[in-house]
Amino acid sequence: MPKAFVFGDDIDTDVIAPGGYLHLSIDQVKMHSMEAIFPDFPKMVEKGDILVAGKNFGSGSSREQAPVVLMELGISLVVAKGFARLFFRNAVNVGLSIGTIIGSTDIAQGDLVSYDVAGGEIRNVSKGTVTRFSPPQGALNDILNEGGIVPYTLKKLGRSK
Amino acid sequence: MGKTSIEKLFSRLAGHGVKAGDFIWAAPDLVYVHDVLGPMMLSSYKKLGNPKINYTGKVIFVYDHIFPPKDSASANNIRNMLGFASGNNIESIPMGEGIEHTLLIERGAIEPGMFVVGSDSHTVTAGANGAFGAGLGSTDLACLLASGTTWFMVPETMVINMTGNLPRFSTGKDVILNIISKIGVDGANYMSMEFHPSSDTRLQLDDRLAIANMTVEAGAKTCILPPDRRTDAYDSIIWDEDAVYRSSLDLNMSEIRPSVAVPYSPGNVKDVRDVAGTKVDQVYLGNCSNGTFSDLQQAAEVFRKNPVHEGVTAIIVPATRKIYARALDAGLIKTFIDAGCTVSPPTCGACAGLHMGVLARDEVCISNTNRNFRGRMGDPGSMVYLANSYVAAAAAVEGKIVDPTEVF
Ligand code: SF4
Repeated sequence: MPKAFVFGDDIDTDVIAPGGYLHLSIDQVKMHSMEAIFPDFPKMVEKGDILVAGKNFGSGSSREQAPVVLMELGISLVVAKGFARLFFRNAVNVGLSIGTIIGSTDIAQGDLVSYDVAGGEIRNVSKGTVTRFSPPQGALNDILNEGGIVPYTLKKLGRSK
Repeated sequence: MGKTSIEKLFSRLAGHGVKAGDFIWAAPDLVYVHDVLGPMMLSSYKKLGNPKINYTGKVIFVYDHIFPPKDSASANNIRNMLGFASGNNIESIPMGEGIEHTLLIERGAIEPGMFVVGSDSHTVTAGANGAFGAGLGSTDLACLLASGTTWFMVPETMVINMTGNLPRFSTGKDVILNIISKIGVDGANYMSMEFHPSSDTRLQLDDRLAIANMTVEAGAKTCILPPDRRTDAYDSIIWDEDAVYRSSLDLNMSEIRPSVAVPYSPGNVKDVRDVAGTKVDQVYLGNCSNGTFSDLQQAAEVFRKNPVHEGVTAIIVPATRKIYARALDAGLIKTFIDAGCTVSPPTCGACAGLHMGVLARDEVCISNTNRNFRGRMGDPGSMVYLANSYVAAAAAVEGKIVDPTEVF
């Protein structure tokens, strides 16, 4: 069953995808994700796990490597109390599910979860509670519905995948 | 109902009147891309099937982040971008000319009234020259080139009313650090920051570069400050008197003191007096916010009479080749070298922990750059303090942080 990784406020893109590795391949960058605050993170994530964060998640750089490494490590959903604009937009573009927490959450590090992205709901199986989140709106929602901005643009250009 | 500057700008791009909250698809006037995030844009472009470029504005590639290349991976990144540029009629700025945000304003590529996007979050620096700039991700940029447009939500605006003038030893850096400390690192999230200096407030371009550059550290999408030279394009985006703002902030410049952002957030701002005595191992001067000629002059004022403290590494990086040449003509480079500084060619260097001055574990650096996140300039256990060039240079000669108004 998927588990949750919980982070605090203002987690920046240098922590998510450190600058010193950005000129290398994603497979190399991802092994350094979160190393400044949680060095075992890349080894512990399994496919389908989720990330829960506080406010202003993904602040800093425009580097798309930030959502990409999370996705490549296996994170399937990122929810936070708030996001920096570039991280949010990049996540939708690359097809990483993302949402803003409504109200509060009691999800703690390692809690087992199940979730429904379309329904905006995470069930905390360890505690028997529910956390709600709102999905992207407007143009971002249209892009998400196509599976990211690459398929969206291919469709716009009259080419399909 | 009147419009803010960004509403006017986006109305021009959309071809009809828009207001905060509207979504538009539009083509920016200029797109620029650098050597660290560019390669990812090329791989996204490949996923789109390498179509003909449909975007009709100007595209510029700049090789500044890891230049000169530090290893074969960074060298190959530049090679690949050069190849794409020449095959697609994209202008490549000759390598070594400087750091993109400062450089493109210096070269006249970013003019007042323009709307520019870049692969880098500090594209907001365009605001220093009366233009709007916004960062975009690599895949967004690839899709913009392929399809011709990209989308924006017209942001709400925070207005900053500035009165008075900065005291000696305070600079644009202190202005923006003070703003971030007041509103928080997400205080302007998704917003445009519109600066309204009073008629007697003097802000030269180099101060405006520092201010505009770090608006993104408060989460801003974009920003604008009045340029030195007005153009028709700029006149067309001047805010209306009855524009509607989300919030406002009043700033009396004469009260702004030299400030320091302590690890690990640009929002952890303290008066320099409160961190005086903090020992430093490295001083790093220069990046897209504060690698200007004025910054070099300020540092030279300090180094002219005082050598670098024993055991401290002082690295100075002029932001562009032109600034370097001016500093050479003015004797500043000689001053730095005589004082024991290391002078680097224009590059992003250690600002983002890339090369040329990366920090070791537990090392403390004071820098006039824009980010002091954990691990930003190297080892996750290193620490970066952000300050203006006087404060950083003064720390280099004293070996610890000092208040320049007391020591010099
Ligand atoms: S100088 Fe630093 S902040 Fe500016 S573009 Fe380069 S890496 Fe980014």
